[in-house]
Amino acid sequence: MEGQLLEANTVKSKRKTSDWWQHKYLYLMILPGLLYFIIFKYLPMGGLVIAFQDYQPFLGIFGSPWVGLKHFTRLFTDDVFFMLLRNTLNLFALNIFIFFPMPIALSLMMNEVVNKRFKSIIQTIIYIPHFMSWVIIVSISFVLLSLDGGLVNELIAYLGGEKISFLTSPTWLPRIYIIQVMWKELGWSTIIYLAAITSVDTQLYEAADMDGAGRLRKMWHVTMPAIRGTIITLLILKIGNVLNLGFEHLHLLLNSMNRSVAEIFDTYIYTAGLQNGQLSFSTAVGMFKGVVGFILVWATNKLAKKIGEDGVY
Amino acid sequence: MKKKWKQFAALTIFGSALLVGCGNGGSSSGTQGDSDAAESGRTKITWMNMLHTASPPTDTITNEIEEYTNTELEFQWIPDASKEERLNTALASGNLADIVTLTIMENSSVRNALKAGQFWDIEPYLDDYENLSEISEETRRSASIEGVLYGVPFQKPLARNGVIIRRDWLENLGMEEPKTLEELYEVARAFSEDDPNGTGQDDTTGFMDRADLKYGAFKTLATYHGVPNEWKEENGEFTPQFDTPEYIEAMDYMRDLYANDLINQDFAVTAKTDQQEGFAQGRAGIYVGGLMDALNLYTLAEGIQDDMDLAQLNKINKDGSDGYAIWSDNNGIGGLLAFPKSEVQDEEELKAVLQFVNDLHDDEMYQLMTAGIEGVHHEMDGNVSTRIDEDLWQQEVQPFASSRPKEIGYDLVTGNELKHYSDQLILENEEIAILNPAYSLESDTFTSQGSELAVSIDDATYQYILGDIDLDDFETVVESWYNSGGQKIVEEYEAAFAENQ
Repeated sequence: MEGQLLEANTVKSKRKTSDWWQHKYLYLMILPGLLYFIIFKYLPMGGLVIAFQDYQPFLGIFGSPWVGLKHFTRLFTDDVFFMLLRNTLNLFALNIFIFFPMPIALSLMMNEVVNKRFKSIIQTIIYIPHFMSWVIIVSISFVLLSLDGGLVNELIAYLGGEKISFLTSPTWLPRIYIIQVMWKELGWSTIIYLAAITSVDTQLYEAADMDGAGRLRKMWHVTMPAIRGTIITLLILKIGNVLNLGFEHLHLLLNSMNRSVAEIFDTYIYTAGLQNGQLSFSTAVGMFKGVVGFILVWATNKLAKKIGEDGVY
Repeated sequence: MKKKWKQFAALTIFGSALLVGCGNGGSSSGTQGDSDAAESGRTKITWMNMLHTASPPTDTITNEIEEYTNTELEFQWIPDASKEERLNTALASGNLADIVTLTIMENSSVRNALKAGQFWDIEPYLDDYENLSEISEETRRSASIEGVLYGVPFQKPLARNGVIIRRDWLENLGMEEPKTLEELYEVARAFSEDDPNGTGQDDTTGFMDRADLKYGAFKTLATYHGVPNEWKEENGEFTPQFDTPEYIEAMDYMRDLYANDLINQDFAVTAKTDQQEGFAQGRAGIYVGGLMDALNLYTLAEGIQDDMDLAQLNKINKDGSDGYAIWSDNNGIGGLLAFPKSEVQDEEELKAVLQFVNDLHDDEMYQLMTAGIEGVHHEMDGNVSTRIDEDLWQQEVQPFASSRPKEIGYDLVTGNELKHYSDQLILENEEIAILNPAYSLESDTFTSQGSELAVSIDDATYQYILGDIDLDDFETVVESWYNSGGQKIVEEYEAAFAENQ
């Protein structure tokens, strides 16, 4: 009995080694990606130790004095922290509740377009904004929304309304932010859903037809369940990015008047760390951000598994 | 299910490949090629320097400098707009050059690097060099940190700011050049409401300002109101400028301008280039900033507003008396030319670099970096230089303007009549300049937290001017400035001041 088991094990492990050997080129292909992650993602993590030091570049990591949790204490007792957290969560909520469902709806609609040519033209057009940089998008909005001769405000004035200072108003910032995100990323985000939709078994649609289902019924009962896995996966990935709301985008939108709603962790790290040179403190902020992101991904993944989906790992 | 995942994976890979492909466009390298290196026994010097123009200069002037100073130069240009992050990363990574131009001495990591001894203390060597020995004791002290001079100071005019006004509009309206703040306000009102350009349309405003409380209109108008330059020192007691009644007055002045539409309504989000363009297009008639900007405004207005005629004013005050004031930018110290010990490793090397910097002070070098090469960029008549080719000058010479270690005390007169006039006013400004009493004092709290604390005050100032908050709110912000470190800064400055007496 025992001998048998042993034998089986050696056979198994032998097979395993030869498996490795047999597919050596395939494994070799992982190497560049693996190296990338080790060199650019894991090794720099060692630098996180400066969050616990008063880091001076001149003294280096080994020469700088250790200060324990000083920077974290400062972060969590500072009013700024709650502002950052509030703004980040606020914009994140907009991203999840308003932006996230949109590409799903759009791809369902595109799926219903019968004329292939028309469909591909539409697709190409809505992908274009994705390739523009934030600088361009924010500049265009700036020109449109300016108080001195901006198109939108001119129109409001022409219609007898009162001009709105879109660019400096804290109430308008989240709206402008999410509209810009939609304009840039909506089309591009449909790609994965469209791909998922094409893989739905057409027999299911035929069967639904036989049962007398209309277009909306088929969308709801056939297409949606079929792409549910994809939706969950993308949701988890999106939540993992919760605190990455787009540094460049918000940095461009940020000004003295809307800072109370527009300053997020990323922009704060940039100002405190790179501009004001508080390297240790901004590392502490960044580390906090990373930990929160990690917890969120883990939790969502757990949740997804609980409701019977695959999750991302 | 499997098939779907394959597609997903393929798409993601394709997508990220595209992204990566798109993302690489913006990388830039600071170093320039040195193809003809090591041809002679010239000293090789690298220089990390600020660039205030859109693109780095061609080699024309560099070659001349190399010839004159018997060196081989390699510039690493840092665009002025990103100087904080570039300098901070350079300092953090130790990626420096033989000479580093440090213009932001109040920045905490720059200051820490200096205090940590990352750069040579050059004071003992200064007197060995003809030009460097002439740097006045006063300048040396102002540029020192805790009594140590960590580089050759840039000597700049004390104060360059003033008011530029459309003289042709004043004439159209039959108005005089304003001498008091009240008159200035009246001019702004008239420019806004009385159709100064005679088009019959409401297409002009008074002020054209930008999102810059310091170099834009606010600080200059504030000194006219009697606000001290950053700090008020009285019998050894320090008060920050924003805790003075004059500061509130100055904010009220701007607030009125804004509420009555006498200033461009977007000023709080306007960039310098947009501001100057807007002015040049004739959308406004009052510009507050560097007096030398007048020349630039003329150049921009060519072909758009050919009848533009600008008056430059530097004497405006509250009551029309003959006491005037203007704030001084960093007390005339434009920063340091510092020499990192990591690059300049021994005394011998330091002496060679100092010799080079000393040579840059020579009249010939000043003329070269200001006006360019005679016969190519400009022509000389006595001590007056006139530009021949404006475009070529802008391209090849202008970028070196910020490389001149000393900009005062030369005979050379450059540009055109207008520039001469700005220069003259800037010279006049020296007499009435208000210095920052805390500039050379040391405060650890200011070094580590100062710029961060200043953000809250700047934000509140904007919000007050725009009418988003009222005086109580502003005072709350000032209060919290004191509580979150400001009080310490005050105490540290007072202690340092007492020690220096």
